[in-house]
Amino acid sequence: MRRLIGTPLRIGAVALAIALALVLLGGMLGRAPEAPQIAAEPAAVTPVDRLEQMIQRSQERLRRVPGDWHTWASLGMAYLERARITADPTYYPKAEEAVRRSLAVKPDGNTDALVAQGALANARHNFAAARRYALAAIKTNGYHADAYGVLTDAETQLGNAGAATAAVQRLLDLRPGLSAYARASYDLEQRGLTDQASDLMRRALVAAVDRHDIAFCRNQLGDLALSAGDLAAADAEYAAGLAAEPSSVALQRGRARVAAMSGRTEEALSAYAALTRRAPTPSYLIEYADLLRSAGREADAHSQLRLATAAHQLFTGNGGVDGLTGAALAEASGQPTRALREAQAEWARRKHADVADTLGWALHLSNRDTEALAYARRANTTGARSAIYAYHLGMIELALGDRATARHHLTAALQINPHFSPLDAPAARQALANLGSS
Amino acid sequence: MTRLVVGLAAVPAAVLAVVLIPAAPASAHPLGNFSINQYLGLTLYPDRVEASAVVDIAEIPTLQDRSDVDVDADGSASDTERSSYAATTCADLAAGVDARAGGQRLVWTVERSEFASFPGTGGLEVSRLGCSLTAPAALDAPTEVRVDNRYLADRVGWREMTATGVGLRLVDSSVPSRSVSEGLRSYPEDLLSSALDVRSATIRVEPGAGTGAEGAKNGAGAEDGAAVLSGGSDPLSRWMAAVDRRFQDLAGGTLTPLVGLLAVLLAILLGAGHAALPGHGKTILAAYLAGRRGRPRDALAVAGTVTLTHTGGVLALGLLLTAGTAIAGEEILGWLGLASGALVLAVGVTMLAGLLRRRGRGQHDHLAGHHHAHSHDHNHDHDHHDHDHHDHHTHEQGRRRSGRLGLAGIGLAGGLVPSPSALVVLLAAIGLGRTGFGVLLVIAYGAGMAATLTGAGLILLALQPRMTRAALAGGAGPGGLTTGLARLTARLHAATPVATTGLVLLVGAGLATRAAAGVF
Repeated sequence: MRRLIGTPLRIGAVALAIALALVLLGGMLGRAPEAPQIAAEPAAVTPVDRLEQMIQRSQERLRRVPGDWHTWASLGMAYLERARITADPTYYPKAEEAVRRSLAVKPDGNTDALVAQGALANARHNFAAARRYALAAIKTNGYHADAYGVLTDAETQLGNAGAATAAVQRLLDLRPGLSAYARASYDLEQRGLTDQASDLMRRALVAAVDRHDIAFCRNQLGDLALSAGDLAAADAEYAAGLAAEPSSVALQRGRARVAAMSGRTEEALSAYAALTRRAPTPSYLIEYADLLRSAGREADAHSQLRLATAAHQLFTGNGGVDGLTGAALAEASGQPTRALREAQAEWARRKHADVADTLGWALHLSNRDTEALAYARRANTTGARSAIYAYHLGMIELALGDRATARHHLTAALQINPHFSPLDAPAARQALANLGSS
Repeated sequence: MTRLVVGLAAVPAAVLAVVLIPAAPASAHPLGNFSINQYLGLTLYPDRVEASAVVDIAEIPTLQDRSDVDVDADGSASDTERSSYAATTCADLAAGVDARAGGQRLVWTVERSEFASFPGTGGLEVSRLGCSLTAPAALDAPTEVRVDNRYLADRVGWREMTATGVGLRLVDSSVPSRSVSEGLRSYPEDLLSSALDVRSATIRVEPGAGTGAEGAKNGAGAEDGAAVLSGGSDPLSRWMAAVDRRFQDLAGGTLTPLVGLLAVLLAILLGAGHAALPGHGKTILAAYLAGRRGRPRDALAVAGTVTLTHTGGVLALGLLLTAGTAIAGEEILGWLGLASGALVLAVGVTMLAGLLRRRGRGQHDHLAGHHHAHSHDHNHDHDHHDHDHHDHHTHEQGRRRSGRLGLAGIGLAGGLVPSPSALVVLLAAIGLGRTGFGVLLVIAYGAGMAATLTGAGLILLALQPRMTRAALAGGAGPGGLTTGLARLTARLHAATPVATTGLVLLVGAGLATRAAAGVF
């Protein structure tokens, strides 16, 4: 009798415990999908900062699991991304250290770390090393999409257009996302297919959720419009990007360029002043100096160039190599010999169209126009529709006395973008006027 | 009078002298050569707020501002140029620091300002600005002070704030009382911490003595991920937290036989400490149950169950967490805590049912049950019971089985919630590819927990016969006081099952509600 009473009670208790456990388990599993929904909702209103979230998650995880080489490598990549967004080169050593920690844990077959090393080399403009790292990474893992991203960037900058296109195609096949679209878009732009480049960038924009990604896409679209001289479209893209990410320096620079090209010089000058206070990178400072010079403020331009020189010193001091910026800086500071030396050194490192153009122009400034012509032609035959390439070619042809082709190329430059540079566009117009009158 | 003025002026000068001398090379700027780094140290007095601001300006912005400092453009900044630049810039800074006490905006006065340059990297200069601000404020009653630093809001850089109180108490402060960068003199070079970006502070003050903020949070954020459940600041918890950190470092460092041995020892120690930590109602509970049953075997049974459950739980959760990061570890801990509480509650309910059943059978049965509690120790069981032998045995077996079930349940509850530090260590080991070592450490941790539980049970066990003997002796012998005491002890002893059941129910309910509060 007692057992009969006891047993149901015990069974009841056990059943109760099992039921409770099931309910709790159900509650736990049921709650799990809720979190992303909550996180997704504000994303529709204000785009999330995924990079910051990712950095925080990685830091937190590595504090607990200091031997997690995957996370060390991805933290290195995130620091690199941060360096790109803030335009601050001091994140490079931090990124390098993170990658080193990953390699210390797993020295062999560490694809993630190889890819991060490649990305770091790209960021430091050491494209040949980046290519080596990317190829080594692909050797260990042929399906690592990021490895093809690094390879694409390196091949593009080294001037190996065919290899770059092949790499970006593989990237598109492996992971058709923002990074693939953006790189494919740049590849198309390099081949002069600007409309397709814009289309692809719009597709990337649709896929973008993170506000830095949105800003990036908008900036690329704005730059594409701007290089075609479509100021209104460019301004609209930059404004839309700034709505998503108000602190983006690239977008602020875009708006400053639009103001400068539209002839709103005062607005452009104050925009550049604010921009270079926040992100005093050599290239922004050179643009600012050009604008100041075009406004007749030679002394102010000079002090900005001094600043640019200091910033460039710090970049090279941090392990960066950038002959292109060095040449532009020397050229703007009126040192043609140094500009030529920098350009030649860069050409020895890589054969990108930009380098060919810069080297051609540096040779022209040193009055070596016969040599210059070959480089300027090479820059113009890559297919890229660049007003500045055409302008440089036209001016070199003019110096060589080839007036017909000079007129053709100078007209082409102004057709591509009538406002391409505050100093060079008026010079092109002046040269054309002289050609016409004679 | 003159002396007083001199004395007052000397204090901030000394502070500034300390503040302005850079201890670290300028290359250590956490956000690089572009950055403008700010530190705002607030000191709250009953009648005013003082702010000591330091701005550490990296190479490029120093160069950018050079024309503002060197007004006459002679290539070098004179003392007058520097001090007038310092005064203007400190005024700008004061305008950018929006401080409110009880909603009322404070009006800053710049008491002192100083500006100096130092050699930086690449042959460039870095500079430092120091400002002492003061503003009258009525903080002699409970007030909320809110400070927003909007000075140069769009520049990249380290931004730090601290708050201390003099002559009043900081009840709750969103910023720490001490500067982690020592006033921008040494930035933490941790690869795993992002630069501080503290732009506002909310501080509640109350009249009273004391400096520092009681609720001050660590500025670098939750640095100790292991302290998810174990809060508290008693010496044991503090010591445990310290050992915990050492332990987690050990699991991540290079593994030598000595380190391995040390890690295992530490794991056992930590497990033992973890079980003894306050808030582990189940510990007392298990020990109590084991003591009541009066057999070392039972104490061991609880310990074994705890070890097995804990090890299994940590391993399962560890694998779950490494498999996918979609599940939040803390949430799982919360749910497991709830399950643990519910389990204890269920055991309590079963005990209550058994008790009621026995109550229904009268006093005799109760005495028999009571007798059983210490019968095994004296080796004279079944000595003077007068009812059916067979029936008694059935009853005895049933009770023992239910008792064993209860013990197992309690042990299960004790081991069900994996301790965060064991989990962290396991994850670390998995990350390093030392899964086996991690499992070993987790088992050692569980063994430590088991040791504490068994120890507590055995101590109770050792004490119990003595208590019972005293009660029996008191009942037999004469003497008012002794008899009274003995009677009380006996009554208490008789009430033990009731008290135990009540305790189990109470602790179970407590555990369940606490966990539920965390989960829902």
